[in-house]
Amino acid sequence: MKVSLNWLRDLVDVDVSVAELANKFNTHSAEVDEFYQLVEATNLVVGYVTEKVAHPNADKLSVCQVDIGTGVTQIVCGAPNVDKGQKVIVSLPGAVLPGGFKIKKSTIRDVESNGMICSLSELGIDKKYHNEEGIHVLNEDAKVGANPVVEMCLNDEVLSLDLTPNRADLLSMMGVAYDTAAILDKTVHLNEYKVEESNHKNEAKIEIETDNCFSYYARIIEDIEIKPSPVWMQARLIAAGMRPISNVVDITNYVMLETGQPLHAFDFDLVETGKIVVRMAHDKETLETLDGKIRTLSTSDIVITNGERSVALGGVMGGLETEIVSTSKRVLLESAVFSPTHIRKTSSRLDLRSEASMRFERKVDPKRTVYALEMATYLFTKYASGRAQKGIQFVDNITDEVKTINLSLEKINRTLGSDYSLQKVSSVLTRLSFDYTVENDVYVITVPSRRQDIETYQDIIEEIIRIIGYDTLSPTLPTTISLGKLSESQQLKRIVKDTLTSLGLSEAITYSLVSAEKVFDFTKEETKLVRLSMPMSMDKNVLSKTPLNGIVDSVKYNVARKNKDVFFFEIGKRHDEDKETLLLAGALCGEISNTLWQGKKEVVDFYSVKGILSTLFVKLGLSHLEFVSMSDYKNLHPGQSAYITDRTGVVGFIGKLHPEYEKQNDLKDVFVFELDLEKILELRRPLKKAKDINKFPTISRDLALVVDQSVSAKKLEDVIRKTGKRMLENITVFDLYQGENLGENKKSLTIRLEFSDSSRTLEMTEVDTRTKEILVTLEKELQAVLRY
Amino acid sequence: MNVYEKLEQIKKDAKEHIGLVKSIHALNEVKAKFLGKKGSFSEIMMLMKDLPNDEKPKFGQITNEAKQIILDYIEEQKTIIEAAIVADMLKSETIDVTLPGKKFEIGSLHLLTQIQNEIEDLFVGMGYEIMEGPEIEIDEYNFEKLNLPKDHPARDMQDTFYISEDTLLRTHTSPVQVRTMLNNEHKNAIKIICPGKVYRRDADDATHSHQFMQIEGLVVDETTSLSDLKGTLLAVAKKMFGEGREIRLRPSYFPFTEPSVEVDVSCHNCNGKGCNVCKGTGWIEILGAGMVNNNVLEACGYDSTKYQGFAFGMGVERIAMLKYGINDIRLFYTNDVRFNKQFK
Repeated sequence: MKVSLNWLRDLVDVDVSVAELANKFNTHSAEVDEFYQLVEATNLVVGYVTEKVAHPNADKLSVCQVDIGTGVTQIVCGAPNVDKGQKVIVSLPGAVLPGGFKIKKSTIRDVESNGMICSLSELGIDKKYHNEEGIHVLNEDAKVGANPVVEMCLNDEVLSLDLTPNRADLLSMMGVAYDTAAILDKTVHLNEYKVEESNHKNEAKIEIETDNCFSYYARIIEDIEIKPSPVWMQARLIAAGMRPISNVVDITNYVMLETGQPLHAFDFDLVETGKIVVRMAHDKETLETLDGKIRTLSTSDIVITNGERSVALGGVMGGLETEIVSTSKRVLLESAVFSPTHIRKTSSRLDLRSEASMRFERKVDPKRTVYALEMATYLFTKYASGRAQKGIQFVDNITDEVKTINLSLEKINRTLGSDYSLQKVSSVLTRLSFDYTVENDVYVITVPSRRQDIETYQDIIEEIIRIIGYDTLSPTLPTTISLGKLSESQQLKRIVKDTLTSLGLSEAITYSLVSAEKVFDFTKEETKLVRLSMPMSMDKNVLSKTPLNGIVDSVKYNVARKNKDVFFFEIGKRHDEDKETLLLAGALCGEISNTLWQGKKEVVDFYSVKGILSTLFVKLGLSHLEFVSMSDYKNLHPGQSAYITDRTGVVGFIGKLHPEYEKQNDLKDVFVFELDLEKILELRRPLKKAKDINKFPTISRDLALVVDQSVSAKKLEDVIRKTGKRMLENITVFDLYQGENLGENKKSLTIRLEFSDSSRTLEMTEVDTRTKEILVTLEKELQAVLRY
Repeated sequence: MNVYEKLEQIKKDAKEHIGLVKSIHALNEVKAKFLGKKGSFSEIMMLMKDLPNDEKPKFGQITNEAKQIILDYIEEQKTIIEAAIVADMLKSETIDVTLPGKKFEIGSLHLLTQIQNEIEDLFVGMGYEIMEGPEIEIDEYNFEKLNLPKDHPARDMQDTFYISEDTLLRTHTSPVQVRTMLNNEHKNAIKIICPGKVYRRDADDATHSHQFMQIEGLVVDETTSLSDLKGTLLAVAKKMFGEGREIRLRPSYFPFTEPSVEVDVSCHNCNGKGCNVCKGTGWIEILGAGMVNNNVLEACGYDSTKYQGFAFGMGVERIAMLKYGINDIRLFYTNDVRFNKQFK
């Protein structure tokens, strides 16, 4: 809502500057977007063109003699419409026009020019408010030598309010005036309009056939003369951001802006039947609206009809058929109240938001319906030479209920944490022009009809505190004592994040919405998708099943920009229709450590990622998790992928991206992993009791074993552990050798066995015996032989 | 030369020889030369038999003393040699300490997580629990129970990604507040914050993101007031933007709170004097808040005649952007390592 200060001053005393008023609105009423001078130009005068001759050296220029009150001056003008006898806007040398444009005395093609004759655009009045191409010609009654901005009533300031949807009252100058009065502690003074009627009885017949039109009032005004509206009204419309059109249109807009009540003017002769019937539209009924579009209606749209066919889309937009045109003579002026929800539905379905629909949607003040009608009728008689027919035709189904709200002083102070007195609160209610009674410290407040947003005592408390000012409240803290804590899952997330970052991984956060085409890139199965019903783009139309989509994209982004060393993890979700599962995922590539001048570097491979995860598992008390070879994922390398499992099943996976996938995506040697954090949380067992340190010595034996390539280290370990029994404390693989001398498809693994017993010192002989047993079993079960 | 003179000569020779020795091996050789079986002392001992008997004990004593002196020379020299060896070794092991050390990767938490943790810790310290909830929500919890019925004009304030007529991507973390109130069997006091991802149907640009992070807070009890809200948010402002910060509450509107306020923090860049960060106003809008609307309390099973409280909600990205002068919200989701790694 753009508020003209001149207009506001008509309705309430404003004794502060626009800057101060803006500041007060910000802290007491509504957010101020900006405030500004409507026309920012200096050194302008009204001039009278006494003579115009063609420029001797230029075809398109004229040389004008202009009377500027203090004398006649010569100005060269390029506008084709300049002419002798016109009153025009002259900017004199020294003038500064909007945009910092400075006017100087100059010589144009050998002819002296002492200023410029201006167009409205040059004064900063946007083209959307006028359609003038050349200079602006002032009204004949403009005073030569006077300030043309004052003559055009454009000497105004504008306060632009960014309104929240509840404050429908501020969509009217009257509403703004009431709030200004409350803020500045002033009183509102409204005009009274007394319509002079002719003897012709109002011919209109009004019928309402739907519950969604609450009231409908109409006047008929005859002998209308269509012409421009008065200059002051045009100026106020421009300040309010509306384009002046003609007196009839401008008056309906002006009254809407002042009262908040949308009006509509029909050419009564074109209504043909003399009848107005308000009903719900028939399904698929069509209507050509004022903007020239043919609208197909539905049964939730309210239409104004002439009893035979629809002539307007009620509360949203008029119909083209009955539009006021330059030849219109008789006007039916409508002032009505429509159902907010239906207006909202219609305007959003047709994507047709008008000044009228915006106001009806947010509820208008039903007490202003007649006031607005009378104000507009009065203005028609005054500025469109109209004659009002006798009486108002109307149907009104609104029951006149007075809304009252009870509110105790104690509740006010308890809600606000304040210590206001009865006197203080009463004075605020008075400033707000709210009627009230008070008994035993309990107010009974009558809600004025202009404040349709006020429904509960909480709304009243808001009114009180915003007028007193939020700055007056002293900051305190809640007194309820409670235990603050992180949940187990939040703690797990923090431990995981802290551990991984100390191991060199960085956290990424990626979008949950991904493309349906890629959503299964890193899943084993294609489970049911969660799709957006109206996505904004096809690359973000479904919810992800793993954070890996986003992470791998982020790796791609970085690698493409030569950030080659990328170690990402993310905690995100798998989104299923009925469940969201917390997942940890990661993708790594590049050098994770190096001492380049020593020629040493560690490039991420399967085992570095496995090592990172194993360290994480140690931290989480889950060292027992195992890695089991698998090849179930289409975009993972079948020879370098593993499930991470527990006795209960799979908790995650790790793997290298498939070379084909890498090729298609310009990636190389990227390793990914994913863990189900909810399963991890279930598996975690907190340490309950500390173990004693083993005081007895450890005896170790190294075995270099030659086995088939297909025998995994895990298999060897399993057999060794099974045979080694309790005294075998630890197994470490510390060498892998593959060479032709071992024989085809053979490899050698060197394994260190550490024996110990926590209750005694082991004898060498028993360790040797046990080692021998292990070797025998290994040979029997895995055909493993000692290398030497 | 008598034996005594010889002995003196040996001592003298030994001192000279030993002093010149540079290695342990040579020292051992010298030791053998003087004290060994065929060494100088063996020769002297041979001469002893020629001495008169009464002189023998005295000579023996002198000889032993001389031996001891030579042993001391050797020991001394050994210490010197060993020190020289250590010095050599140290010299040969001296490195250029200015060469670069081994490069380890140090990871970092995402800036949004860092801000989230900071705010969570502040609130945990003030006795709040941290609650989370699903991102796919039902309309009832995301809107209806929050005083936003289906045709409410305020629904235009939040463009929503719908999945079906009744399910959607949550547009704020308020449904977690709804769930917490509904799940509270005893309908007693609640003090929570709700962090999480939220979604709005906005085209991504420098200041809009279809996905962002929010932290909302809710306190419900019998006494918590708007002044308590002001104090709580002042603590947030000071924690995130520095001790000297002030806050300003301005009237606003949210369907779920009444009264509703926008909260501005005094500009940390110019201390409220006015600069380009605060667009010359000295204040920066950081969050929305208010007293919980009674309709919300009632819809969630709380008796509004007994209970009251406040709620607030802030965007984590916005706080990060203000705090670090970041001017494009998309940077948080691009994960360019050059950007992310600045925040250790």
